[in-house]
Amino acid sequence: MHPCGGDKMSGCCGNKTNCEKSTIKAEKGEIKVAIVGQPNVGKSSIINALSNAKLHVGNFSGVTVEKKEVYVKKNGYDVLMTDLPGIYAFNAYTPEEQVAKDFLIKEDCDVIVNVVDANTLSRNLIFTLQLLDMHKKMILVINMVDEIEKRDGKINKKRIEKLLGVPVILTSAKQNRGVDEIIDCIIDTYNAHIVKNKIYYNEKIEQRIEDLAKILQKSQHFRDKDYSRFIAIRLLDRDENIYKIIHDLPIFIEAHKALEKMYAKLEAEFDEDSTTDILANERVAIARNLQMEAIDVKEEEESLSEKIDNFLIHPILGLPIFLFFMWALFQLTFVLGNYPMNVISSIFSETSAFLADLLPKGVFNSVLTDGILPAVGAIVMFLPNILVLFLGLNLLEQTGYMSRAAYLMDGFMKRFGLQGKAFVPLVSGFGCTVPAYMAARTLKNPKDRIITMLVLGFMSCGARLPIYVLLVSAFFTNENPGNILFFIYIGGAILGLIVAKILRTVLFRGEPEPFVMEIPPYRFPSFKALGMDLWIKTKMFLKKAGSFIAIAAMIIWFLSAYPANDDMVQKYNAKIEQTSSVQQKEQLKNDLNSKLLENSYLGSVGKFIEPVFAPLGMDWRLSVAVVAGLSAKEVVVSTLGTLYSMGGVNETNKGLIEKIRANVDFKAAIALIIIIMIYSPCLAAMGTFYAEVPQWAWRVFYTIYPNVVAWLMAFGAYKTLALMGY
Amino acid sequence: MKNISDLKIDEEAIVAKMIAKEPVKGRLLSMGIVKGAKIKVVAHTLARQTWDILSDNTKVALREEEARCILVEETK
Ligand SMILES: Nc1nc2c(ncn2[C@@H]2O[C@H](COP(=O)(O)OP(=O)(O)O)[C@@H](O)[C@H]2O)c(=O)[nH]1
Repeated sequence: MHPCGGDKMSGCCGNKTNCEKSTIKAEKGEIKVAIVGQPNVGKSSIINALSNAKLHVGNFSGVTVEKKEVYVKKNGYDVLMTDLPGIYAFNAYTPEEQVAKDFLIKEDCDVIVNVVDANTLSRNLIFTLQLLDMHKKMILVINMVDEIEKRDGKINKKRIEKLLGVPVILTSAKQNRGVDEIIDCIIDTYNAHIVKNKIYYNEKIEQRIEDLAKILQKSQHFRDKDYSRFIAIRLLDRDENIYKIIHDLPIFIEAHKALEKMYAKLEAEFDEDSTTDILANERVAIARNLQMEAIDVKEEEESLSEKIDNFLIHPILGLPIFLFFMWALFQLTFVLGNYPMNVISSIFSETSAFLADLLPKGVFNSVLTDGILPAVGAIVMFLPNILVLFLGLNLLEQTGYMSRAAYLMDGFMKRFGLQGKAFVPLVSGFGCTVPAYMAARTLKNPKDRIITMLVLGFMSCGARLPIYVLLVSAFFTNENPGNILFFIYIGGAILGLIVAKILRTVLFRGEPEPFVMEIPPYRFPSFKALGMDLWIKTKMFLKKAGSFIAIAAMIIWFLSAYPANDDMVQKYNAKIEQTSSVQQKEQLKNDLNSKLLENSYLGSVGKFIEPVFAPLGMDWRLSVAVVAGLSAKEVVVSTLGTLYSMGGVNETNKGLIEKIRANVDFKAAIALIIIIMIYSPCLAAMGTFYAEVPQWAWRVFYTIYPNVVAWLMAFGAYKTLALMGY
Repeated sequence: MKNISDLKIDEEAIVAKMIAKEPVKGRLLSMGIVKGAKIKVVAHTLARQTWDILSDNTKVALREEEARCILVEETK
């Protein structure tokens, strides 16, 4: 009898005496649970469907893989569930899978909840069998039963319970069926005394497992019989992580010798290349058998999914359709995101005006209302764009289209040393680099991910648009400015791909990474899941960008406001008092501001860095604007405005355009555009990169190389134009 | 022996041998592409560089290189 098998799901086992015997842990307390399953089986959906659950999102220690913890209180127990990243099998392949595997092996959890997809049961069960080797308390959750029912199929739950020896729960996260039974079953399983699950392999394999386990038991680490059996199986499966664990133990030599012999013997006996294959074949056979016995469903004819795919991944039509979707997403991000932009922007400016009057005058007032609030506002202003982009990307991901896009783009991206999947973050980079870095998480291969993140900055983000608009309107009066803009964006993207190719050949040499990826069936997205995800992303984004931008803004503000120059302020104020003409007053105020700025720390920095930019024909003002743009790209235009004595202008202001045209040489303007296109993105983006990439070498490289490339390209363009006589 | 990249769209076959190396082999296995499995080519891109294979209710995208490592025989 299973702890929570039978028809009564919530109670313990039906048989009273049996139940009492099995309850050894009378004390209530915390139950640690690992939720594990292959990708796309519906784990997140199940967690979202749990009632009374508290969700906490963080990172697994040391890595940026998202860690979701769910906490449920029931019948006096605290059930703490960790949602592990999707993992196909114990022979971990991607960094995320490695995280899940390490957790399963190293953390001491009380109950394992294995979620599987009823539609692809036999393939899922292969991994379930590997989990059963651990011989821990386990529950099998078979999700998506609604889809089996839709095909008039039946799942024989009791049969699976009997064959595997673990309680089984049938759920449909979509219809919210059976989900809450999981918690009851966890509690019952936790309290149950016996662990029944045990999978037996072929006689010859079992013999080896036993022999090896006996050797292992000589070490105090493996005294536990179940544990030594698990380790023995993993070793026979040629699991390198486990091999490393025993490598430093005194029994290593004996175990190693025995293993080598066993490998050779078994491989000869089964006529296979590797014991891994032998165990795999065993598991496949058991899993197929289980599926045949437990599920009765007729094979699908052409499913709806396949009909849609006939069109969407058509050899000829597929690519244009995909490009259209991407274009539409890009448009929506800008168009929909722009509506709330003005509202947010005015909320921030009103608030800071209000606070400026309310608070006593002084440094605190200025730093808050001139420095921090406008800068934080500038970032929050883009939140709507970012949410639209995220929603779009989530929709693509949730419906299953994203993997089709990766499939379609793979051939093209391969020529540039990237994977099909990399296209998605690259496209989101046109909106904002910050979420694009996060989107790069979908790239499993660490090399691909680093390359993609290193070239993401070349995709000009939305915040750079005002700078381009300003410069293009100033210098390209004859040409169609829209075309020039398009050229700038496309140019950046092409450059990014070329740099990716160079990085791949120079720094990441070697075989191209294999591309093997599951394409899940199309599914109607769950709005609750979409909402939850957006909410979590919003919170994390606001927290990260808010703290980062606030600090950066404070630094910039102090640099531009100090040292205080009271003499000059008094002199100018006296002059302003004397003149009666409004125009002259304005002029004087602007002169004062630009004098103050020139003498501020920022001004000194500008003078100091001027020599770097001088070969590009850029003066200290452009230099400061470029450097200030490192805090946020919006700052470039506002800084230029101040520096050219225009205080508080925006890019559509005719005056600034004319001033720029008058003061900046055409060659220098082109150099400036190139710099803006290529050099480091804003601080928020850089902070995100640092958070996502833990290796210092890459952080340093990332911080330096775009600026070097930008300078060289700008210099080349400047000199070429000079030769052409501009 | 034929491999997957020799097949046409909608053609079915049985996996006869996997000559892929680890870790790709393990990956294919955990997606249901194993010796004896029935597979069907769902689609390939115009240049036949990337393939979409159906096996055991699961669709898997592969590159040509990987497709060549899966030897197949005709369905009976
Ligand atoms: N029909 C059906 N779809 C489901 C069910 N559970 C999840 N899904 C869908 O399956 C897809 C993958 O689910 P998700 O929770 O993201 O999977 P995860 O990768 O395991 O976290 C989503 O589109 C869900 O809406 C279910 O019980 N029935």
